[in-house]
Amino acid sequence: MKTDISVEQIQAGFAQAGYICSQPIAMTMFLAYKLEKPVLVEGPPGVGKTELAKATAQLLNWDLIRLQCYEGLDEAKALYEWKYGKQLLYTQVLKDKLGDLLKGTHGLAESIDRLHEFGDIFYSEEFLEPRPLLQALKAEQGTVMLIDEIDKADHEFESFLLEMLSDYQISIPEIGTVKAKRHPIVFLTSNNTRELSDALKRRCLHLYIPFPDAALERSIIQARVPDVNQQLQQQLVDFVQEIRKMDLKKQPAISETIDWARTLLLLHTESLTPEIVESTLNVLLKHEEDITNVKDDLRSVFKNVLKGKP
Amino acid sequence: MDKVLVDFIKALRGNGVRVSTSETLDAVNVIQLVGYGNRQYLKSALNCTLAKSEEEKHKFEHCFDQFFSFNSLENLSENSVPEPPPKSFLDKLLSGNNQAAQSDQPSSELGQLLLQGSNQAIATALANAGSAANVGQIRVITQKGLYGRRMMMEMGLEQLEQEMWQAESSEDEGQQNLGRALRSARDQLREEVRSYVERQFLLQATGESRALRESVMMETRLDNLREFKNVQSLVRKLAKKLVATHSRRRKVYQRGKLDVRSTIRHNIPYSGVLLETHWKTKRIDRPKIMAICDVSGSVSQYSRFLLMFLFSLTEVINHVRAFAFSSDLIEVSEWFEKENLEAATDMTLNKVGGGSTDYGRSLQSFADICLNQIDHRTTVIMLGDARNNYGDPRTDIMKAIQDRARQVIWLNPESKRRWGSGDSEMKRYQPYCTWAEPCQSLNQLERFISNLLRYGQ
Repeated sequence: MKTDISVEQIQAGFAQAGYICSQPIAMTMFLAYKLEKPVLVEGPPGVGKTELAKATAQLLNWDLIRLQCYEGLDEAKALYEWKYGKQLLYTQVLKDKLGDLLKGTHGLAESIDRLHEFGDIFYSEEFLEPRPLLQALKAEQGTVMLIDEIDKADHEFESFLLEMLSDYQISIPEIGTVKAKRHPIVFLTSNNTRELSDALKRRCLHLYIPFPDAALERSIIQARVPDVNQQLQQQLVDFVQEIRKMDLKKQPAISETIDWARTLLLLHTESLTPEIVESTLNVLLKHEEDITNVKDDLRSVFKNVLKGKP
Repeated sequence: MDKVLVDFIKALRGNGVRVSTSETLDAVNVIQLVGYGNRQYLKSALNCTLAKSEEEKHKFEHCFDQFFSFNSLENLSENSVPEPPPKSFLDKLLSGNNQAAQSDQPSSELGQLLLQGSNQAIATALANAGSAANVGQIRVITQKGLYGRRMMMEMGLEQLEQEMWQAESSEDEGQQNLGRALRSARDQLREEVRSYVERQFLLQATGESRALRESVMMETRLDNLREFKNVQSLVRKLAKKLVATHSRRRKVYQRGKLDVRSTIRHNIPYSGVLLETHWKTKRIDRPKIMAICDVSGSVSQYSRFLLMFLFSLTEVINHVRAFAFSSDLIEVSEWFEKENLEAATDMTLNKVGGGSTDYGRSLQSFADICLNQIDHRTTVIMLGDARNNYGDPRTDIMKAIQDRARQVIWLNPESKRRWGSGDSEMKRYQPYCTWAEPCQSLNQLERFISNLLRYGQ
């Protein structure tokens, strides 16, 4: 296992895994790894928040455990559940065996004493069904824990996570405290649909991933869609950058740029023309309103994009 | 060196980034890992440890650039050795053999640092001296010179100057060059120290004075608030605080009422034996609000703030509908949704403001527009001084509104003593209000809204 790692190594490692990141991202990962603190990743949809966790898992060669949050998510789904069926069977078996076990005892008090001699395994690890959070804590190997879209979960769930995030342990009332064998790297992602509590933020490193600048976006395209030729790559990135400046309902994110690049590649496009853009705009924009808006301004956007060229 | 960090965090707090103690400790750990060596690394490392929202990130960047900026130092070490004065060919020949000794090396610590040290080292020394001289304590701009001098002394100015004078008075050319270099380095350092102190003042003092200003603003009567800038941000802050404290309580457990369905559902695992009980809960709707603002000449300044505040609250309370009137009433909610706050308030004041007050007619219009939309969840808020120019007050409409609404609240910018005096109809409206309160400062406004959320449920 790599015990010593530098920011540059992380950046290079991510690049190898196909995740091109800026220096602040690499720095946050470095700190998360060194200080063993969870990372709260925020940013507009599609900038690679979830990808970051995947890339980290790949880089460290650790397992990725993912927990998708939604309204109504509770500890039975996130942490643990008892194996009720097995527990029922156990009580059945116990009932059958009870006669044998208590053979030779006299009176109730003695029977109870005898019963106490057997360990109480009704609530024990054998009957525990670990859910993602508990899996991450119990893993022998290091794991990357991804708690996706934490803002979709309820406030209660958020406060329930606090113990896990600060001490890497979880209390199960019937058993006691489960401590992590090895501290996992925890990612929380949020799309900012609601403000997260200060208590949660305080425990995390906070990373905000904005839309990338042109240079970074080009290298991302280069890494993800290497077959696109230089000219097209530059044009399409410039175009997307230009569109992001417009007033849109949903701005195209990196994932959409990548999709678009793939689309253009599929159509054997050599360089951007207004016609091609018009017919493929629905890959980039996901709202009818936005598409019409951009179509109206297509000429002027194009002029801006091509102006930068000799 | 940790003192620098603490000063920086103090500056951050002053600029509105909330940093808790545990985050400070994190930052100390981070700095141990990353060190002060690489500015970019330091910045992004501290950024992810201390600033926890997009807004705070912007503030952080501004603060960081101000606090750790030593840009002008970059030129210092390069330019500090002045070009040797032009010499005649003969001179050159004569001194040609001791070119190396042309400019001697300085011996004082500060001199060495300035002429040979890296920018990073100089910046570090500067920051160290700054914290040793307690520059963070600076309160007023006139203390600038004092703290600057202290910093220079801390850095070892005395030795430097002594060496400089010695070198300048010496006959040796190398020594004289050194003297010149030292003098220019000292002047640049002085310049740098001065701007450092100035930045510190701006960073530290703005935080302190803002806290002071805000507490003053809270107590100031609303009609005087015009004088202050940043009222809007303060109002936002108030609203946000209220959102934070109130947005969570959305369920109330009705103790003693068993939720049979949920209990059965949750006890299936126990083969139907009711081990776990579930109780009925009541979901609480946030109150709906209709606000009617008087914007006639006498109270228009108040309405500006009241509308501003109500709209900052739209996050907590769904469906805030705003109406404005002077001689007649119109709905202004739409403008507030589309325009920004300032523009919308201005539009409202231009459109309806300034007329002579007619409560009767305005109430009638209000009833026409939306009396039938008022239901048991609606809170109606009247903002006005109830001065009706001796017209018909139409208390019958007030009664109709009160019958339908959950509550009717009247906020009057005049103090209670003046209610009912002259053309004020307040005494006649008051019986139809759930509450009528004077509302003269932001503090009172905050208290009112807090009550509204608490009892409005």
